[in-house]
Amino acid sequence: MAQLVELAKELLESGKVSLIIGYTAKGDNATYPFIAYTAAEAEKLVFNHHCVNNLSVYINRLDIPEAGKIGIVVKGCDARALSMLIQESQIKRENVLIIGVNCNGVVKDVEMEWKKENVAPKCAVCEVRTPKLYDELIGTLEDFEKPDPTAMQIIAKIEAMTPKERWAFWQNEFDKCIKCYACRQVCPLCYCDRCIVDENTPQWIETSATARGNFSWNIIRALHQSGRCVGCGECSRVCPMGIPIGVLNMKMNMIGMSEFGFKPGMDINEPTLVGSYKFDDKENFIR
Amino acid sequence: MEENRFEPKIVAFVCNWCTYTGADLAGTSRLKQLPNARLIRVPCTGRIDPIFLIKAFESGADGVLVSGCHPGDCHYNSGNFHARRRWMFFKELLEFVGIDEKRVHFSWVSASEGKKWVDVVNGVIETVRAEGPFQEYEKINKSNMIPIE
Amino acid sequence: MNEYIITNEQINQLASELLNKNWNVVAESSDGISFKSITQGEDIKLNPSSKPSNLSPKQFFFPKSETLFFYKKTQTDVEIIDTAGVGNKTIIFGVKPCDTALTGILSKVFNWDYKDEFFNKKVENTVLIGLKCGYNDDDCFCTSVGLSPESEKGSDIFLVPLEDGSFLAKAVTEKGSEFVKENSKFFAPATDAKSKPVEMKAAPQKKFDPARIKEWLDHNFENEYWKSLGDLCLGCAQCAYVCPTCHCFDIVDENFDYMSGRRVKNWDCCQYTMFTKHASGHNPRSHQSDRYRQRVFHKFKYYPDRFETILCTGCGRCIRGCGIGMNISEVLQQIDKF
Repeated sequence: MAQLVELAKELLESGKVSLIIGYTAKGDNATYPFIAYTAAEAEKLVFNHHCVNNLSVYINRLDIPEAGKIGIVVKGCDARALSMLIQESQIKRENVLIIGVNCNGVVKDVEMEWKKENVAPKCAVCEVRTPKLYDELIGTLEDFEKPDPTAMQIIAKIEAMTPKERWAFWQNEFDKCIKCYACRQVCPLCYCDRCIVDENTPQWIETSATARGNFSWNIIRALHQSGRCVGCGECSRVCPMGIPIGVLNMKMNMIGMSEFGFKPGMDINEPTLVGSYKFDDKENFIR
Repeated sequence: MEENRFEPKIVAFVCNWCTYTGADLAGTSRLKQLPNARLIRVPCTGRIDPIFLIKAFESGADGVLVSGCHPGDCHYNSGNFHARRRWMFFKELLEFVGIDEKRVHFSWVSASEGKKWVDVVNGVIETVRAEGPFQEYEKINKSNMIPIE
Repeated sequence: MNEYIITNEQINQLASELLNKNWNVVAESSDGISFKSITQGEDIKLNPSSKPSNLSPKQFFFPKSETLFFYKKTQTDVEIIDTAGVGNKTIIFGVKPCDTALTGILSKVFNWDYKDEFFNKKVENTVLIGLKCGYNDDDCFCTSVGLSPESEKGSDIFLVPLEDGSFLAKAVTEKGSEFVKENSKFFAPATDAKSKPVEMKAAPQKKFDPARIKEWLDHNFENEYWKSLGDLCLGCAQCAYVCPTCHCFDIVDENFDYMSGRRVKNWDCCQYTMFTKHASGHNPRSHQSDRYRQRVFHKFKYYPDRFETILCTGCGRCIRGCGIGMNISEVLQQIDKF
């Protein structure tokens, strides 16, 4: 995308940003995260249907030198994560220069070919193809064939089950978990210095990847994402065991929507959901 | 006491300022209540990390009760408001992963509501008793421990 | 002659019979995610050209969580219930050469000064049925680390697919020959009239020279190159947990109730920040680039230094599974060019 390269070069050369977090192409299809420090490196930046990664995860990693302003390439869904990070005071708005891209859908995983069956399910319900938050906007919107919202279908399927069946379903899924914490590391909103699973005085969550430890980990992860998850789907994508963990987050988001009318990351000035309250919040479940 | 009746283990997380004091009042008023609940006193319902509830189930609880000050009465002004939002999600999440809502209960009991406390705690105990032992969770607890039995 | 012929049906029958004898019969699951115990013989479908499963069969020798012992407090004492050696006879079907090699590589570290009876008993109890590999993609690099798609290292019995749909089974180890003898009705001796091996995809090209890499690593612990690698790695343990040879573990005690509990060995990973963090708060590998360097050094320098074996089988799982495209093969190719 020439527009992106031009812009990135200009930003780096003029010193408006010290680095740009973006995507670079590799092989026939795939793209991977890439950090451009110089205008020459900016030549390698691309944006296409294979730019699946949510790059906002990098903005908060200590390992990226904190040298001045950071430029970052974001899709609409990634911009929501950035917005959440700003709302939760993890980054300052003035420290990032957001290059928003009008997104025409991405594939499920970076190496997949661009066709209807491979379009990421999140794109089916996307409302932010133009990012809500940006300093520079590039690209043009084009129509694409929407996939089936599979996560929604899974949720509907699970909700129709009895509690015992739901328990069996999730036990079967969580049993696979090997506790590699790829879901945690890839999540832009899992930024705690010390995660609850790493706490060992006391050991709240067992480190063992057995039924009990896996159950506790997976539901606490989902709970900590309630009202925060922006639905970028990275956790489900990176899970080596194919556990549909994003479904739990999506369910939590549906509750945030139905009970509080809240969508994470849509409005940078809004207070966070679990960090705020209203006097008349729903409480019909409390005696 | 009926013989062979299932006696559920209930863990009750109660706030220091309202429900614990309310339960205390029930005691000093000599109101009778079922003995199945173990009370854990915390400063405020806002202090109750949902992981406490998980830990209770991991430790063999058949049901959990969380109770604190009525909205507006919080000793720290807003602790119970924050807790309320958190529970909303947690309750739905537990249901979604297959923990029956009859095992997780929430209530507001003030320091003067000794009678309400007795009703709430008895009600919770009877509900959980009707549900029976939490076999599903016991199974995952024991999965680590098979040869011990 | 140690060569036999076995057909697909016979493999299924053999598995059924072993299941009846209470063996733990393991094969790759149909979703391609992991190796799993199966419940009926027909579930085995050997496919030499399938992509390696996401998770290696390492877990059958070195499980993700393994109880070392149970304890029970009595009035005056503590009773210890030993679990070493508990476990059924196991057979794993259809393991590619990049996975069969793991037992040989890991047994070096598990028998270096302390003899790890948990690992050894599992190896002893397991019959590994290797399968010639017909898969090859950009991420495969078995030939670069001294293996090949037809390497028999670690297999007890090695299967080569033949054109008529059956398999040529070579009993590689004594255990393998024993096993064939015990189940001889399923194995027909191979005659000269056997059909030809199936033509399969060529082996991956040799991509780097591990000896040269080691030499470079010997002198380049501090090198700018490492710094550039830490920027993108997010520090999860996907690569280590899917790896057939990564073997770090953490030992913790877990209580069941006030009177009993267990000591358990769980997988751990050098890519975690917490892995090297001291109680003081100091972390000697504070930057992700230090941790990524450790991964490369352990596999291609420390392990060869100590055991003369590379701690890598070239299966490519860590590359395929990485969410952000860290590619150890490319890193090594880059080093090879220095």
